[in-house]
Amino acid sequence: MQTDRITGATLIMLGSLLIWWIIPWQAEEVGYGWLRPRTLPYIISAGLFFCGVWMMLRPVAEGLTAANWPRAAIYAGILVSGLALMSLFGFLWVAPPMALVLMLVVGERRLLWLTAGAAGTPSAIWVCVAILLERPLP
Amino acid sequence: MFDTATILAGLGDVFQLMTLLYVLAGVIMGQFVGAVPGIGPVMATAIAIPFTFGMDPLAGIGFLVGINKGGLVGGAIPAVLINTPGTPDAAATALDGYPMAQQGKPLKATKMALYSSVTGDTFSDIVLITVSAPLAILTLRMGPVEVMGLMLLAFAVIASLMGASIARGLAAAALGLLAAMVGTDPEHATPRFIFGNFEVYDGLPLAAVAIGMLAISELLFRLARTRSAQAATIRIPRDQPSEDRRVSFAEYWACRFTMLRGAVIGTLIGALPGIGSTAAAFMSYASAKQVSPDRASFGRGNIHGIAAAESANSAVMGANMIPMLTLGIPGSVSAALIVSAFMIHGVQPGPFLFEQQGRLIYGLFGAMILANLMNLLVGQVGMQFWVRVITAPESFVLTSALLLCFVGVSLAAGGLFGIGVMLAFAILGFVMTAFGFSVVVFVIAFFLGPRFEISLSQTLALLNGDPLRLLDYPFGFVMIVAAPGLAVWLARRRA
Repeated sequence: MQTDRITGATLIMLGSLLIWWIIPWQAEEVGYGWLRPRTLPYIISAGLFFCGVWMMLRPVAEGLTAANWPRAAIYAGILVSGLALMSLFGFLWVAPPMALVLMLVVGERRLLWLTAGAAGTPSAIWVCVAILLERPLP
Repeated sequence: MFDTATILAGLGDVFQLMTLLYVLAGVIMGQFVGAVPGIGPVMATAIAIPFTFGMDPLAGIGFLVGINKGGLVGGAIPAVLINTPGTPDAAATALDGYPMAQQGKPLKATKMALYSSVTGDTFSDIVLITVSAPLAILTLRMGPVEVMGLMLLAFAVIASLMGASIARGLAAAALGLLAAMVGTDPEHATPRFIFGNFEVYDGLPLAAVAIGMLAISELLFRLARTRSAQAATIRIPRDQPSEDRRVSFAEYWACRFTMLRGAVIGTLIGALPGIGSTAAAFMSYASAKQVSPDRASFGRGNIHGIAAAESANSAVMGANMIPMLTLGIPGSVSAALIVSAFMIHGVQPGPFLFEQQGRLIYGLFGAMILANLMNLLVGQVGMQFWVRVITAPESFVLTSALLLCFVGVSLAAGGLFGIGVMLAFAILGFVMTAFGFSVVVFVIAFFLGPRFEISLSQTLALLNGDPLRLLDYPFGFVMIVAAPGLAVWLARRRA
């Protein structure tokens, strides 16, 4: 119930933010036509706002998926860092250490599986994409 | 639309060697990944889409259909053997499959799952082939008002049935529509929500959004839950009597009504967007239990329980394609992903598909039937091998899947920018799922968004400022009026 109220408040804030700030900033004002660039975004943002109000007034206590936020944040951090490094060094150099770090964080310690994940999978991808499909890796 | 030459040419295309091989490869890959808890056919399809770039459209789409169909069969293996469904669809299969495996009959249980899955799937494919072309003729007569009404109706059904509550369903649809508005406004061609990034002038890449929301966010969930790198160990008894290792024809035939009922339930549910195969499997299981004279044996290894669940969850697959091919509305995540594959190959799903790409569609129908046959053959041989797949640790499986998503999106959505979009939407998908918002509703709304805006714009132009003109379009009017009522009714029934 408490989560629903917090989520509802977030949706109200998001809807308000869109209506008062983002849409006027990011959608051009046009003075003609039946469906102007801002019309549908305004309607949808108002919908979000009312969904938020609804959730605050009629909270339900079901359907939430238990998530391990700190661990998920660590994995997301590894992926984002991997992407940043890929933009500098390319997939071929970044994928093996990224896979190794991910597997170590999961808790894998067996050398065979670590080698398969950090060397085998990137190599197989390289063979499939760069050699067989002749397409560039990121 | 019913040109015999086109139908025969389409069916003939399937028998080209490369197409056959790709469908077979899809089925093998699908059964393989279905057997791995944590990947499943949806994720495998998402990963495979970019790799179909270089293929002929029929071979590429046939490959993806093969993955989906194979995955439904493969998903039953871990459900039966370790009580961990490889896909959510197989959760009902575990109710009787796992107890049967515990009784020393794991191969019998997996084979019954295979036979009933293929039976249900073939039934729904026949319905798809029979129904979709006449339905497409009807939908071709629809104008913008009817299309908009239909989309409103689809949003109402999907938003009401998915997610923790109707408010969350509607909010997820609204967020998906907002994401679809990034890019150029269709009526005035002015930039919208681009925040200075000219890469998104054509909108956000569908493959990056879909893979981020559906595959990467799920991988993040699973990685965050994984505490141990060890995998379950499976033991298949070697000294079993042959009747415990196979399903006899008499046993299969005894389940015919259960499978037929499951196939009908799966087909009906699959034809409605948004309900999904998990619900179909449980409904079929419940109805089989209800009519059984031996209800007490359900949940203790009754073969009818497996037949009911598997025939229903597999029947959803073919029926899901009915709204997709006739209306352009994807009924499920898999259908949404196949839609993005259609678009990658320059094919726009919807009623015009039968008129403009009839040969491709009948080729697809042929590929679906062939994939069922291949599922049966590959499953007969492969079941014993896929069992060993479950022993691969999640640390390896999930990491490999992540790397494949990176490369796949890079190929489909323009390099590192696409990967960035994928990661952003993965984080959004994770947060949405954690708070009970359906990412499937988001992705379907995102896909339908541009078409919805265009049909709304055309409707407003037709009405010319007079709402009473809506009465000139009775079907559209009824659908527009019915949408909110239906949403409330469905939400109340669900509550």
